[in-house]
Amino acid sequence: MLEVENLTVSFSGRDGRAVAVDGISFSVAAGETFVIIGESGSGKSLTGMAIAGLAPEGARVGGAIRFDGQDVVGLPDARMRRVRGRQIGIVYQDPLGALNPVHTVGDQIAEALRVHGLARGREAMARAVSLLERVRIPDPARVARSYPHQISGGMRQRAVIAMAVACNPKLLIADEPTTALDVTIKAQVLDLLRDLKAELSLTTLLITHDMGVVAEVADRILVMYAGTVVEVGPAASLMDRPAHPYTSVLLASAMMAEAPPQTALTVVPGGTPPLGAMPEGCRFHPRCPRATARCRAEVPVLRGVGGGQAACHHPLVETPEDAL
Amino acid sequence: MSAPAATFRAARRIDWLAMAALVVVALLAVFALMPGVVAPYDPIALDVVNRLKPPSPAHPFGTDEAGRDIFSRVIYGTRYSMGVALAIVAFAAVFGTLYGVVSGMAPRWLDNLMMRIVDMVFGFPALVLALAISAAIGRGLDSVTLALSLMWWPGFARLVRGEVLRLKTEPHVETARALGLGPVTIMWRHIVPFVMSAVNVRATTDIGYALVAVTALSFLGLGATSPTPEWGLLIRDSRPYFGSAWWYLVFPGGIVMLTATACSLLGDALDARKGA
Repeated sequence: MLEVENLTVSFSGRDGRAVAVDGISFSVAAGETFVIIGESGSGKSLTGMAIAGLAPEGARVGGAIRFDGQDVVGLPDARMRRVRGRQIGIVYQDPLGALNPVHTVGDQIAEALRVHGLARGREAMARAVSLLERVRIPDPARVARSYPHQISGGMRQRAVIAMAVACNPKLLIADEPTTALDVTIKAQVLDLLRDLKAELSLTTLLITHDMGVVAEVADRILVMYAGTVVEVGPAASLMDRPAHPYTSVLLASAMMAEAPPQTALTVVPGGTPPLGAMPEGCRFHPRCPRATARCRAEVPVLRGVGGGQAACHHPLVETPEDAL
Repeated sequence: MSAPAATFRAARRIDWLAMAALVVVALLAVFALMPGVVAPYDPIALDVVNRLKPPSPAHPFGTDEAGRDIFSRVIYGTRYSMGVALAIVAFAAVFGTLYGVVSGMAPRWLDNLMMRIVDMVFGFPALVLALAISAAIGRGLDSVTLALSLMWWPGFARLVRGEVLRLKTEPHVETARALGLGPVTIMWRHIVPFVMSAVNVRATTDIGYALVAVTALSFLGLGATSPTPEWGLLIRDSRPYFGSAWWYLVFPGGIVMLTATACSLLGDALDARKGA
């Protein structure tokens, strides 16, 4: 359904080229909820935007992104526009800003239908109302006539989701869809995404930094660090027995939130390395408790570990070769 | 901006001044639209017996060297001075906005080219252009309008381009792109409406500046021709009588100052409302 092969996103600036996404590959099967998780600056959002053909101005996208068998890298914008919104729906983080304050909510949903030639005039508006109903907004007819500032944040995020699925896309890319919402609304939005996925047979690509979100919805998880894939695998095995030390640290820090307050905080020392100064060898080695001389010199490649794949010289889980 | 009380006080003070400015502008609109109703005399009728008379109940602003009523001339002059200033700003706002939007939406090389053209126009001295146009098509308000219109739009173009560049990365514009909307739809529905408040503020303030520029060119002899009661020309004609007939200079000059101040205050008030 979606195959990403050796994807790179780079920016050329005054001090040379900065590679923000460095040769990542993965594939998403139809009907699956695939989660990309990583810290800010790991390149996860850029990956999502590159798939939608929305990489920022000045970014150079390399590699191949096959969506339904068609390579969308380098597709002219006029053709990509027919895919975007129609076959790929996108939900962004900020529900306050995502709606245009000078048009009504219904009008903006209808706009998505109009631009792809699916409905016009009164019919488009009627379908906007039924879409609002579908995302479980009470009194959808009234909300359709409202301006964004007249409805609550949770409702706005629902309206944004209604816009994204208006044209019944095959793939939904959700980039931090719950980050700006409070905990109860977050849970509701996640439930909604899960229900919509079943009702509309959506394939979902969820981009987040929040392990709590991942646990709720993921079928498979890809962990990104500093523009590379460090681990990928089925959600259950990856969360149970992470192979990469970075994944394990991410999980540990997510557990902290639920742990009693007396527990000592485990923190990952340091931060994502800057684009211009990537460490040699494994990019995580300066922060890794298990790092050895080999990690400092040799770049680890993805290989089968446990239930999935990890790029680590010293995984926390036995590799098939080790077992032999 | 963090203290609501301070903001509130500031808003109230500006409102009070803005009301005064609004009254001035409303009066000017009446003068411009129906000068005959307000003005007691014909602005160009001669009355040589009563030349250079100081202000009196019959002639509140006095009379000029041909006995014409200066009050009536100032009122009739509104149409010329303000009309030209409005025309200049209207052209500049419309053309500058379109230019700025296109430049902000265009690919980088075209944007650069368009902005270098703006720099060139900015760098060109207005007075030299006004002189050249006067020489080419003759002295008059037409050439003043043309010269200042050609000089005035780059300010709007720069302002609007900056706003467009900022708006292009706003989440609602990203969402519009994510829906597959084309650049023209995004421009009209999701960018231009947000540019207009800045344009309105700038246009309101600029009417005052344009008025000063128009009267200045007329004062220099490049604009209106006698006996048009244009304000700048009135000031020019009063020069020989500076010493003996102060009212001839003070009233036309005062009205230019009052009008320009009113426009500036109105612009400020609009700006404050935009921020609130």
